[in-house]
Amino acid sequence: MKDFFRRNGLLILIAAILLALVTAVVSMLLGGVANPFANVIGVITTPVRNGINAVTGWVEEKYTDAFELEQIKEENQELKRRVAELEAKEREYEEAIQENERLYNLLELTPKNRSFDKEAAMVTARSTSNWESTLTLSKGSGQGIAVDDCVVDEYWNLVGVVAEVGENWCTVRTLIDAGTQMGGQLVRTGGSAILEGELALMGEGKLKLTFLPENTQLISGDLVSTSGLGGVYPSGIVAGHVEEVRTDVSGMTDYAVIVPETDLSSLKQVFVIKDFDIVE
Amino acid sequence: MTRQDFFIKWGVYALALLPVWFCEVYLLNRYPLFGVAPMLLPLAAMAVAVLEGAVAGAGFGLGVGILCDAVYFNPDGAMTVGLCLLGVGAGVLAQYVVRQDLVGCLLCSLLALVCIDAVRILSRLLAGTGGLTAMLSLAGREIAWSMVFVFPVYALFLWVFRRVPKKTVL
Repeated sequence: MKDFFRRNGLLILIAAILLALVTAVVSMLLGGVANPFANVIGVITTPVRNGINAVTGWVEEKYTDAFELEQIKEENQELKRRVAELEAKEREYEEAIQENERLYNLLELTPKNRSFDKEAAMVTARSTSNWESTLTLSKGSGQGIAVDDCVVDEYWNLVGVVAEVGENWCTVRTLIDAGTQMGGQLVRTGGSAILEGELALMGEGKLKLTFLPENTQLISGDLVSTSGLGGVYPSGIVAGHVEEVRTDVSGMTDYAVIVPETDLSSLKQVFVIKDFDIVE
Repeated sequence: MTRQDFFIKWGVYALALLPVWFCEVYLLNRYPLFGVAPMLLPLAAMAVAVLEGAVAGAGFGLGVGILCDAVYFNPDGAMTVGLCLLGVGAGVLAQYVVRQDLVGCLLCSLLALVCIDAVRILSRLLAGTGGLTAMLSLAGREIAWSMVFVFPVYALFLWVFRRVPKKTVL
């Protein structure tokens, strides 16, 4: 150890402590905006990430073409049948919408309005730690993305919330991450609850719904969307469906296990909601 | 060793770190096994500490720690100071207790991974986020899967170690 201290070991330790302090303080002060060093690394590695993403995407596509063709054919048939069903329903809805508009005009009510300012982005990297569930996207503050922006997939299912922003990249905390906490709403009953990530469920790709409304009978498959309470996140974005109801370790309260509607493991393109205007 | 030798030596170590970083951050996390991806960067720091000793271990650990805090989500500086201290510890262990070989590297890597996950578990327990059983299960799987990669990581840095000047003067 004498040798260690004689050969500048102590200086290295002091440098490490100082750098760690600077990292911690800068991260805390910037509140979600990437610290300068992380930003530089992120900016430099973005083209590399995009390249790797393109190559792995191509390989996965070829693998799917080669080994999963039959399954895709069956899925295609099923989807065609489903589209036909939905088209029939759409014709009915069209009539209902027109009737609704007439009634709004008759009663002089402000019609519901939902407008979103979206930014398309590619998923370029996945979690670098097993203790968090995150995605890195190809867009950042340069494209107007900010911390706490909601991220959805192409089917308008919730993916997560932007947690860290760099110049041309951002990190999204997915909805199953242990740090996720946001208002949820049961679509069938309208009851409000809290969508919460948990480490144990994160490994299974699920999250939980806590503070369930009293006297609510949940059914497996019940859809859960964002409640929009607080105004930070837009309402009505589908998060997932109820799988089962469990009792917590204290035995006092129940919570529902939620399976996300989005497939986090195969996401390629997502949309960041930069701004929204909702009139209910 | 001249100043030029010094820079060439650590430049080569930094280059050797690139494929390790690439595999951890861009490749292996896409295809997790048992729900976890391995941690490779701390293994690289331990391999160099075992081969080069405490001072070089501290310096390389510091560099790898800064890189970890830059690429991992939600940095708090813990990896910078943690890997530097673990580098010193591994270097001292390899110099005085265990041998500077693969077995020594396996032992130091295991201790380092246990320390890193112990800090993670303790910080989450103190913050009241996450159950102990779930965290222990995750840490166990993560350490076990990461330990498999000690062999290729050690082989890579041993290959570099045999080709760079031996005496480090800081």
